[in-house]
This record gives sequence, structure tokens and C-alpha cells, in this order.
Amino acid sequence: MAATMIGQTLDHYRIVSQLGEGGMGVVYRARDEVLNRDVALKLLAPGTVDRVGRGHLLREAQTASSLSHPNICTIHQVGQTGDDFYVVMELIEGRSLTDLLTATGPSMETVSRYGTQIADALAHAHGRGIVHRDLKGSNVMVTAEGRVKVLDFGLATRLEREEISELTLSYDSLESKLVGTLPYMAPEVLRGQKGDHLSDLWALGVLLYEAAAGKLPFRGNTGFEVSSAILREPPPPLPAAVPYGLAAVIQRCLMKERVERYQQASEVRAALETLQGAVLQSRHPSEETRGPRTLVLRGMQHLTVKNGDVLLLVGTNKGAFLLKSSRDRTRWDVAGPYFHGQGIYAMAYDGRNGRHRLWVSTNSLMWGTFLRSSDDFGRSWTNPLEATIRFPAESGASLRNIWQICLGRNDEPQTLYCGVEPAALFESRDGGESWSLARALYDHPHRPRWMPSNGGLFLHTIVPDPGAKERMYVAVSAGGVYRTEDSGSTWQARNTGIRVVFLPEKYPEFGQCVHKIVLHESRPERLFLQNHWGLYRSDNRGDSWQDIARGVPSDFGFTMVMHPYDPDCVYILPVESDEFRCTPEGHLRVYRTRNAGGSWDSLERGLPQKGAYETVLRDAMSSDSLHQVGIYFGTRSGKLYASRDEGKSWKKIVEGLPQIVCVKAAVIQMDEAPKARPYSKAKPAAVRKTLAAKSVKRQKRR
Amino acid sequence: MQVSFNIPGPLRGFTANRSAVQLELKEGADLLSALLDLFRACPGLRDRILTESGELRHHVNIFVENENVRYTGGLTTPLPVGAEVSIVPAISGG
Repeated sequence: MAATMIGQTLDHYRIVSQLGEGGMGVVYRARDEVLNRDVALKLLAPGTVDRVGRGHLLREAQTASSLSHPNICTIHQVGQTGDDFYVVMELIEGRSLTDLLTATGPSMETVSRYGTQIADALAHAHGRGIVHRDLKGSNVMVTAEGRVKVLDFGLATRLEREEISELTLSYDSLESKLVGTLPYMAPEVLRGQKGDHLSDLWALGVLLYEAAAGKLPFRGNTGFEVSSAILREPPPPLPAAVPYGLAAVIQRCLMKERVERYQQASEVRAALETLQGAVLQSRHPSEETRGPRTLVLRGMQHLTVKNGDVLLLVGTNKGAFLLKSSRDRTRWDVAGPYFHGQGIYAMAYDGRNGRHRLWVSTNSLMWGTFLRSSDDFGRSWTNPLEATIRFPAESGASLRNIWQICLGRNDEPQTLYCGVEPAALFESRDGGESWSLARALYDHPHRPRWMPSNGGLFLHTIVPDPGAKERMYVAVSAGGVYRTEDSGSTWQARNTGIRVVFLPEKYPEFGQCVHKIVLHESRPERLFLQNHWGLYRSDNRGDSWQDIARGVPSDFGFTMVMHPYDPDCVYILPVESDEFRCTPEGHLRVYRTRNAGGSWDSLERGLPQKGAYETVLRDAMSSDSLHQVGIYFGTRSGKLYASRDEGKSWKKIVEGLPQIVCVKAAVIQMDEAPKARPYSKAKPAAVRKTLAAKSVKRQKRR
Repeated sequence: MQVSFNIPGPLRGFTANRSAVQLELKEGADLLSALLDLFRACPGLRDRILTESGELRHHVNIFVENENVRYTGGLTTPLPVGAEVSIVPAISGG
């Protein structure tokens, strides 16, 4: 069959030569006649197709084709012509890891360099629900430039129970087509369970062992011997040349009990990176007096993020930046710009359900707006072929920008919302895969009378009521506050008491230019609002609003941030006026209320108080969830300030960025580490303790 | 007839890094039908060149030979045999 295929054409692929043959079929080098490029074309053996079923194979391959990662062989197309079922892939010129090891012998450098890349590829795929199930030396290619490419993601078919018992009970020498697969199989797979991401991590452990020791950890002359070793025997000790740290990583991947293994590929990657000694950290010694210690990583290096780290997502009008610090928040590493040249108006970190997903909206003046995500802290990003957020054709509208990405409630981990321009709300119920327009709000009779604000006509604020699934608030500039009480079937304007300066009627039903709304989850009936002129509070879910601008230099401003634990504490950053959108008198000052708007105090220690004509935009301030709480804000002039004592003192942690439009802070919680505490109305015990300890200290000092 | 599309740098991620893509089209095809064939061959280009309502993005220009199609009938511009179609980002910034 192989010989007869050469020179033939499948769809627009001309078969040039045979590259190899495996259990699943034959791989050819082929020419894509449309794009004039060489590709690898895998023609699946009819046996494979029959055994697994066409539908299943097609689905798996299509899912795998959604992966886009520098260390994963890209699947271009999955096709069928007559009875021929084929997969078109990126053609990789290189050698398999197995061949390379045979030629060069084991090497610690190989383990750390290639291991990190394989773990990165697994982290990317696992984050998208795709497991490999047949990771082995012959499925890992290394290009001439030293880049690893993992092949056949999602194409490995599940071995049936009978085949496994046939294999493991076999006393014949290992000659079957599964000869390459068995030594990498995890104990649970041998027992007949379906392979999952933890079995992939086992296989990675076998690969690392093989690369470090030059031989497989579980060996034998027959299938029976190999499988008994996998099931019962510890791997033989690694040679003395293997450093202790590396041996520990391999050992943990090869724990027979699944719970004792690493639980995520990103952990293996982080562990291997640490071994390489190439962890990206500030190189300056820590000294409080030297000001912020920030290292800007040039040439697009990436962050390595560990459990408990604080991450800042910073969107600018010319790209996104990521900053990271350990929880002491004294030194920051900066990576970026990501998507350089594009406007990044919305970012979000989704840590629900064990994910570590960054969301970003990218806005290119030329090529449109796309929602993209990264599951590996910015190393790789999705780049959807089709825009996932799009107006229905019959609406005649087209997306101009995404201004807000908002997570759904904690008990709805697959729900996300986006606020966009032209003003509309989009919703996803499947973790951001697909989106739909919130129709009732879009069809609201008020919408034709909403007026564009300075930045356009857009929906920028989304506040789900944390206690009531059917209730949600949105804010539109300039349309005002709208509330739904029935999960979006109807929306009511909720602007009574909010003043408008740019219309003859000062208190209209709608048309207000609201800049931000916040609420605290323990007091969901109470909202705070920064208006285009005016600070307001509502104690009745937005039914009416009272002015709370007592003691602020200006009630004009854009941003507003809720304290994560104190429901009476809100932060704002006033600017002088709508005409002079800069901080009053050149003083850069944050204002804070701790009595729900009864009074405001100025927070300025460490902030410039002379000639600082700055602007902080509506999404450019954020808080973390540590004790004490960290507050962060970025200016239109590209400076980023941080306070790690709830606003008492500030430090500039980076400057010289493009115009900052968005700042989001998150504390990264990985694995068994406790999730963020559910809110209790009283101050958490830990805080009380800290406060108590502090007051003792203060007394002693006195 | 053959038509050649010139692809700008930022979009070459969707054309296997090729700066030009040649397609064989039916005689008498107009720009829109040529673009639809291009989008089929190179998924990912469509939403970056057209809005979801099917209009050419505001800051993207398409030239057939040396003429901007905004002056020659837009997406209905007819294509001569052997046409060279250039997709070019407009002068803009900020």
C-alpha cells in the first residue's frame, strides 16, 4: 500500500515520500498544493479506524487541532476521502528523542532542556482538557535548533482491556506493535483505567529517567516482566551523576500512587526550571532603601510562578505586561510586552476549578478584537481562528472593543461575562469556549438613546450579585446602571439620584455616565459608584442613590476598588475635572473611606506630591487578597504604584510603560494549598491575630 | 484563472508564514468570492480582514493591482485574469 500512495493526491495534498510507519498507520511527507508547503500526512490504518470508530477519531483529532503551542506539533487538518482517514500535521525536520539519546548518550542538559519543554507542552494541552495517552521517546521530536515537538496529541487511542491483558500476560518476547508503548504505561493504565493527565506525568517521568540514565526504568524480556516491574517494583536507583534535585523530580513523577505524583505538568516544569538555575528573578540584592527592585525581562522572557505568588496583569494601550512577586511584595519581575502594539483594555485571572488561566482582550486597530487566554502564565496564548465574541449577523453591529472580562460566581466556574463596545453584554457558560449576546439588554428600548461618552459607547462594568444568581448589575457609558432580577430576561435602569451634568434634565431615568460600581460580597445590597462627577452609595440594590462625596478634593474620577475584607472600605483616585483629567494640583493621592462614604482620608505616603499631573483610568486600580491587603494602580503615563499595607505607604514598582488602562491583581493558589477563604462577616482570625500582635509591638516600642 | 494574494506580516501566522498565496478561481470571480476562497484555504484570515457583519475592516485596505477597492466597487470589484490582490494595513496609529 505504501508504495502505491507515492505520487497520489489526497484532497490538495500530493504524497511525496514515506516518512515512517507505526501502529496507527503510515506517515508520509506531502505537499500542500494550496499553501505550497510541505506537511506530514498520517494515513490511518483501516484497522485503527474500525476499532476506534470514525466519529471518535475525528472528534479527538479536531480537539487536538485546537492546540497551538511551540512545543506541540500542530495539526493542520483532519480529513477523509472515500475510506481514507488522514491527519495533516506540521512537518518536523529533526530526530526523535529516542534516536538522539541513542546517538549522544544520557545527558543532564538534555533532561532539563527538553524536559521543561515537554512539561510545558503537557501543561498547555492539559489546561485544555487534552491528554496525550501515548507519550514516549519516539513521539518526541527535537529540531535542529533544539526545540522539542511533541507529536500525536490526542491521537492515541485507548487500549481495550483485552489488549492490555494480552500484553501484560504475554511471555513472548516484546515484538508487538505496542513494544514502544508498554514501558511508558502508568500502573493505573495497566490496570485498565483510562489514561489521564496524571498518567501523562508518569510517562514524562519514564522519559526523564531514560534521558538521565540512558535506559528505561522498567525493563524485562517479556510484556509480563515489564508490566510487573511497573506495577510492583521501584525504579532502579539513578546513576550517581544525576543530581539529587533531578532524581527527586523523576522519582515524584514515578510514584505508583497517583496522589503522590505531581498533580500538574506546570509543577514539573517549574521544578525542572529551578534545577536549571535559570529562574527569572530580580538580580539585585534586597535593600529597602534602594526603591523598587524591578527587573524588566527583555526579549520576551516569561515569568515562573509559584504557589502563593502575587501576579499583576497590566494592560496598556500598546500591549500587556505581567508582574510577579512572592507574597512579601518587595521585588517584582516584569515580563512583556505581550501582544505588543495592541490595546489591552481588559484582563482577568481565573483561578476557579484548579485553573490558572489568564484572559486578555487584544485590540488591534487593523485586525480586530479577540479574546485570548493562557494557561501557562503567558508562555503561550490561544489565537482563535474565528472571533469567539461576535454580534449576530442580523444585528448589523460589529465588535469594536472588549472593555471588561468578568468571572461568574464561584459556584459557576464555567461562567464568564464580557462587556463590549458597542455597548452590550456577552456571556459564556462553557469556560469561555463559546459566547452569546445578552439579547434582552441589547434589545432594551433605552439603547437607541444611550449616548457615546468620550471613549465611545460601551459596557464596562459587570457586577454579578454574589448572593443571588438571578441578579446582576451592569454600567454603560453613557446609559447608566441597569439591573436584572431574572437572570437577564429583563433589565431596569437604576439611576435614581445620580446627577447628570451634560443634559438639561439633571436626574433622568437613564443616560448617566457611570464610571465604576463596586460591592462587597458580605453586603450585596449596598453598592458604591464613581460617576462622571459624583460619588454615590445605594443601600437598596440600586433603587436609589445618595451622594457620599464629603471630604474629597474632587468627586470626578474613574476608578473605584472595594477592600476585599472590609465592606465599609472603598478606594478611589479623584481627578480634577472632566476637562482637566489629571490629579488635582499635581498631588497624586488615593482616597479611602472606612465608614462606607461617611468620610474620606488621603493616602499619599510615597506618592509624588509635586507636579504629578496623573490620570488613573477606570480599570487601572486593583487589590490583592493578602493580609495586609495590597493595592495597585497604574497611570496614563505608564507608572505602576503598589502599596502592601492597605494604602498607608506606596512605592513605584515600574515606570516607562505605555498608557496603563487595566490593572488586575491575583494571588496564585496551586494544588492542595487552601483556596481563598470564604468571607465571614467578622474579620478573619488570622487578621485579628496580626492586628493584635501589631498593637502589642506598637506598645512595646512606645 | 489564477489570483495571487499578498499577505501582510501580521497575518502570515495563518498562511504558514507565506507572503503570497496563489489560488485557482473560476473565470469572472469578484473580490468577495476570491476572498471567501482565500478564507477557506487559510482559516483565521476572515475575522481579521472583515468584521462579523461582512464589511472590510476600517483600517484595512485591499488593492487589486494598484487600485484601492474602496474606489472600484469594494468587495464586488471584478478581478482580471492573473490579478494580484494586496491586503495592506492603513496608515494609522495612536
